[in-house]
Amino acid sequence: MTPAIEVIGLSKAFGNDAAPVLGAVDLAIGENEFVVLLGRSGCGKTTLLNIIAGLERPSGGSVHVGGNPVTAPGAGKGMVFQQGALFPWLTAQRNIEFAALNRGSGAAEATRLAKELLALVGLAGAEQKYPFELSGGMQQRVAIARALALDPKILLMDEPFGALDEITRNEMQDELLRVWAQRRKTVVFVTHSIWEGLILADRVLVMAARPGRFVLERRIDLPRPRRRSDPLLVGLYDEIWSCLRG
Amino acid sequence: MRGRAAEWLLPLSVLVLFLAAWEYAAAQYWLRPIQFPPPSRLASSFVDLATRGFPQGITLWSHAGTTIGRILLGHALAVALAVPIGIVIGSYPLVERMTSTIVTFCRSVATLSLLPLAIVWFGTGETAKIFLIGYGCFWVMLPATIAAVKLVDPVLIRAARTMDATPGIIFRQVVLPASLPRLLSGARVALGVGFMVIVGAEMIGTIHGLGSLIMEARTFYRTDITMVGMFCIGGFGLLVMFVLARLEAWLVPWQARQEAQQK
Repeated sequence: MTPAIEVIGLSKAFGNDAAPVLGAVDLAIGENEFVVLLGRSGCGKTTLLNIIAGLERPSGGSVHVGGNPVTAPGAGKGMVFQQGALFPWLTAQRNIEFAALNRGSGAAEATRLAKELLALVGLAGAEQKYPFELSGGMQQRVAIARALALDPKILLMDEPFGALDEITRNEMQDELLRVWAQRRKTVVFVTHSIWEGLILADRVLVMAARPGRFVLERRIDLPRPRRRSDPLLVGLYDEIWSCLRG
Repeated sequence: MRGRAAEWLLPLSVLVLFLAAWEYAAAQYWLRPIQFPPPSRLASSFVDLATRGFPQGITLWSHAGTTIGRILLGHALAVALAVPIGIVIGSYPLVERMTSTIVTFCRSVATLSLLPLAIVWFGTGETAKIFLIGYGCFWVMLPATIAAVKLVDPVLIRAARTMDATPGIIFRQVVLPASLPRLLSGARVALGVGFMVIVGAEMIGTIHGLGSLIMEARTFYRTDITMVGMFCIGGFGLLVMFVLARLEAWLVPWQARQEAQQK
């Protein structure tokens, strides 16, 4: 079976920098797998995500999504950004409709989908609210709903909860898992929080910088929701932490 | 409500005190009336101007209407030209590099230094006045537009690209609304420039308009009329700015809220 996402020999260098942002990176992600990319700032994890999204071009190697080479953004690759990147001049509902309309939905269908997705992320009733009227956590819920409106095969998330306080962040992790249980997608999730990775992932990939590369890979077969006190997770935390500390 | 009243009361009492001191100083002949006509004289001149006018028959309101009409026309033409040109320059870094020196040069040329040229090109009629106002507004509006387009948050464009938005949709539905707040504040600053240029532009070839009122009064040593004219330009400038600020808050409500949150 072809993997949902396949990265082959991918490298990225800016200008004449001696150390590339990404070395020759290989990665295969299965259908509906939840993969977390973990690492310090500047280790190339966001660059890797952007290349998979088609927002940046690689210097070498290739990316395939669903067996097709990635040359441009869009086409079923949903993305959630750290700051939400909602359009501040549109209501929550219109933000989601924007995605649906670009996918070729009719106006009525887009509205129906927007309402359905807002309800899915727990924001029924907030249709007419503008982003500035929503808390950071609620904005990210809208951003997730907006990405889902593309009916994407894969969902790329770039530190989506990085700007939230810890309490909201933990809530959003549960929320994301709940939504993901209802709408199975292949997810690539970038974070620099070890616990976030352990709570969410089927597989955690730890990255190191210059050149960006994978230095540790761990499968986590625990059922969700997971408890932070789980001895397996505590052990993994120590292992990843010592790997990151170097 | 008490807080609001106190907010008004303080500057108001300072103003009253200032006018009283002025009146007293003029009554004592500490200030020469030709240089500083007392507030009571200004008030009676104002009534006179508002009813009988100067020169005879052209009231203050007629002058103000002419002036504001000229400013708005010049401003509108400048904005209509500057916005499309600025969008093109702001969208293409190459075009910006080609034009940035010219833009900086032209906006540095003081508008009123063009007055003699404007007369040679357009004569002393309306066209020259509109040209001068338009010139002043244009070179404020153009850099504002370029900046507005360049400062659109790139993550919004990236987000739109991940949602299959075509370049046309990105331009119309992302770049334009995202730059609207800066376009509007640029238009407001440009209008302020229009109010500064107007007096010079009305110095020549007309007896209509607040600028010509001020100049005509000087010829007759009517300092009081010059001052009333000045205050009128200031007052109308304040009024138009206030209306524009309200319009802005109505057109781009998200911007006002974002700024309030950042404070």
